[in-house]
Amino acid sequence: MAEVVFDKASRIYTPGAKPAVDGLDLTVADGDLVVLVGPSGSGKSTALRMLAGLEPIDAGSVRIDGRDVVDVPSKDRDIAMVFQNYALYPSKTVAENMAFPLKMRGMDKEERAQRVRQAADMLGLTEYLDRKPKALSGGQRQRVAMGRAIVREPQVFLMDEPLSNLDAKMRVQTRAQIAEMQNRLAVSTVYVTHDQVEAMTMGDKVAVLADGKLQQYATPPELYDRPINAFVAGFIGSPAMNLLDLPRSSSGVTLGGVEIPLPRDISDAAGSRDKLTVGIRPEDWVLESNDADASSVIKAVVDVVEELGSESYLYAHLAEDTGTTIVVRGPGRVGVRFGDPIAVRPNPEALHVFDAETGQRLP
Amino acid sequence: MTATLEERPAASPETGGKPMIDRAEGWRRRAPLLPALIFTIIVTQIPFILTLWYSLQSWNLVRPGSQEFVGFANYLDVFADSQFRQVALNTVIMTLGSVLIAVVLGLLLALLLNRPFFGRGIVRTLLITPFLITPVAAALLWKTVLLDPTLGLINFVLTPFGGSGTEWISNYPLASVMAALIWQWTPFMMLLLLAGLQSMPTDQLEAARVDGASAWSTFRELTLPHLRRFIELGVVLGTIYLVNIFDQVYMMTQGGPGVASANLPFYIYQRAFLGFDIGQSAAMGVVVVILTLIAANFALRLIFKSFSGEQEAA
Ligand SMILES: Nc1ncnc2c1ncn2[C@@H]1O[C@H](COP(=O)(O)OP(=O)(O)O)[C@@H](O)[C@H]1O
Ligand SMILES: [Mg+2]
Repeated sequence: MAEVVFDKASRIYTPGAKPAVDGLDLTVADGDLVVLVGPSGSGKSTALRMLAGLEPIDAGSVRIDGRDVVDVPSKDRDIAMVFQNYALYPSKTVAENMAFPLKMRGMDKEERAQRVRQAADMLGLTEYLDRKPKALSGGQRQRVAMGRAIVREPQVFLMDEPLSNLDAKMRVQTRAQIAEMQNRLAVSTVYVTHDQVEAMTMGDKVAVLADGKLQQYATPPELYDRPINAFVAGFIGSPAMNLLDLPRSSSGVTLGGVEIPLPRDISDAAGSRDKLTVGIRPEDWVLESNDADASSVIKAVVDVVEELGSESYLYAHLAEDTGTTIVVRGPGRVGVRFGDPIAVRPNPEALHVFDAETGQRLP
Repeated sequence: MTATLEERPAASPETGGKPMIDRAEGWRRRAPLLPALIFTIIVTQIPFILTLWYSLQSWNLVRPGSQEFVGFANYLDVFADSQFRQVALNTVIMTLGSVLIAVVLGLLLALLLNRPFFGRGIVRTLLITPFLITPVAAALLWKTVLLDPTLGLINFVLTPFGGSGTEWISNYPLASVMAALIWQWTPFMMLLLLAGLQSMPTDQLEAARVDGASAWSTFRELTLPHLRRFIELGVVLGTIYLVNIFDQVYMMTQGGPGVASANLPFYIYQRAFLGFDIGQSAAMGVVVVILTLIAANFALRLIFKSFSGEQEAA
C-alpha cells in the first residue's frame, strides 16, 4: 500500500530531442486506480516504465511510499507489472509462471504453492495450472499475467494496455474484473490505456497525456464536465465533442448564421477575443422541428445515421456552411435518413468554450 | 471456401468421381522433374548399391583376380577389428567433444556479442572468420603456425612460462585435431545462438527484471529454455558435418600415431586407398552408414519435435 508520486519526472530518449515524458507531476493516492490515457505516442508507456524501473528517470524524481526510487533497481521497487503482450514465460507452466516472482524472492516451496493456489482460485485458473501458456486462450493468458502480478502482493500494480489483445466482449468483462479486484485488494494501481472508455470506467482518477505532457488529472466526471482544454475535450467522450471555431457576435458566437448566446461568466472571460472554440457534446444538441423559426435553430443535412438501439448519432453538415460537420445524439428511433434536413439548437447551459489560440478553457 | 466445397459434388457426376488427370497428362506434368530425380538416384543410390555388393566380396586391388564372393565375412572381420572399434570411439569423441565444446564457447561469445559495446561489429566479423576459412587451410594453419614445436605461436607464447618445446601434435594428436575443429565451428554455433538470443522477446526479460530475477536466474530460467532448440539445431548440424570430417585429420596427423587420431572416414580411406582392401572398406562404409542413419534419425526427430512443438506462445 503506497502513494506514488511523479515529481517533474522526465524521460529524454535521444539527447536534444523532445522529451517522451515531459515534467510529469502526478500523485497516485494510496489504494487508488489511476489511468494514464492519451493517444499513441503520448508517453504513457514511457511514464509507466519509468515507474517500473525499466527506463531511467532523466530529470525530476519518482517516489513510491515516500522513497525516491530514481536509483532503485526494478526488483527493489516492490511493484508488479502486467505487460501488453503478457510476457508470460513460454517454457514454464501457468503455476511456474505465477510462482516465478516468489521463487526469485526466495520464498519456500510450500508457501509459493499456497499463494499460487489462492490466486488461481480467485482468477478461475485452477484447472489450467499445469498447462503451458501456448495452450491457453488470450483471456486466460491475460489472467495468468494478472495472477503473476497479484501473488507478489506488491505495493503498486502497473498495467500497460492489458486488455488491448482481447476481443471486445472479453475486454468489457475483464475491465470490470480488474476494477473489482483492484478495489478488493486496495493496491495502488497505475493503468495505461489509449481507450478513453476504459479510462473513464476504471479510473478513480484519470491523467490525460499528450505529447509527453500531462493535460489534466481529474476524476472521470470532472474530466467529462470540465475539460481543461480543447485537447481533453475532444479526447474524452465518444463520439467526440463537436469543437467549432466560431466568430464572436455581440452577445455570443454565431454558428450557421444563428446567434448562440454565451453565459455571462464565459463572455466576460472571453474579453475582446474575436474568435472562440466552442465545444458541444453530441448529447447537448436539442433536435427541433424542421419548421421552427430559422433565426433560432441551426439547419443541417444528415450524412450518416448510426442507430445503436437505445440512441442514435446523426453526422450532419450545416446547410449554411457545408464545410462544418456536427454530431448530434438523437433518440433510438430517430426516423431520419441520409440526406434529410434537421434543425438543432445547442443547450446553452452545456457549452464548453476555449481560447481559439491556446485551447485553454474559459473561464 | 464454402463455395468450392459445395461446387465439387455438383461437378462430380459429369466428370465421373473425382477430377481425373489421365496418365499421359500426369507424366507430362512430372517430366520436368525427372532429370533431377534420375540424377539423384544415379549419384547417391548406385554407388551405395555397388558398395553393398563390394562389401560381400573379398577383393584386394594389389592381388588382381582375387575377387570372390565371401558373404558376410568382411562384416565379421570389421567387428573383430580392434582398430575399427578404436577409430569408432575416436569418431564419437572427436565429433561430440568438438560440437559440445564449440556450443559452449559459441554460447559465451554470443552472450558477449548480444550486449552493445564499442566496436561490436568488428569483433563480430573477426569472430566469424574462422568459419569462412577452407578446412585444409585451417588445418595447415593449426599444424604449422600454431602447433609446430619450434616455430609455432603456442609454444612461443608459452615460453616465458617454461612450457616450450611441447610436441603438441605427436603427444596430443586427437586433442590437436579437435582444437582445430572447435576453432572452426565455434563461430557457426555463435551465429546460430546469437540469432536465438536476438529473437528472445524483450518483454519477457523485462518481466523477469520486475519479478526480481538476477542475471543468472534470468539466463537459467528463461534464456536457456528459449535457446534450447537453437542449441539442439547447432548440435545436430555440427554433428552431421563433423562426423564426416576428413581434411583436418588428413592434414594434421594422418590419423596417427597408429590410429590414435583417425576417425571413420579417414580409416576407411586408408583401408581402401592405402591398403587397397576394397571388400573390407566397403563393409566398414556400410556399417558407418547404418549407424549414422540411426543416430541422425534420432537427432532429426529431436529437432523437428522441438521446432514444431514448444514455442509460439505469446
Ligand atoms: N526506446 C525508445 N527510443 C526512442 N524513442 C522512444 C523509445 N520508446 C518510445 N519512444 C518515443 O517516445 C514517445 C512515447 O512513446 P510511448 O511511451 O511508447 O507512447 P505510448 O505508450 O503513449 O503510445 C514516442 O514518441 C516514441 O516514439
Ligand atoms: Mg504504449
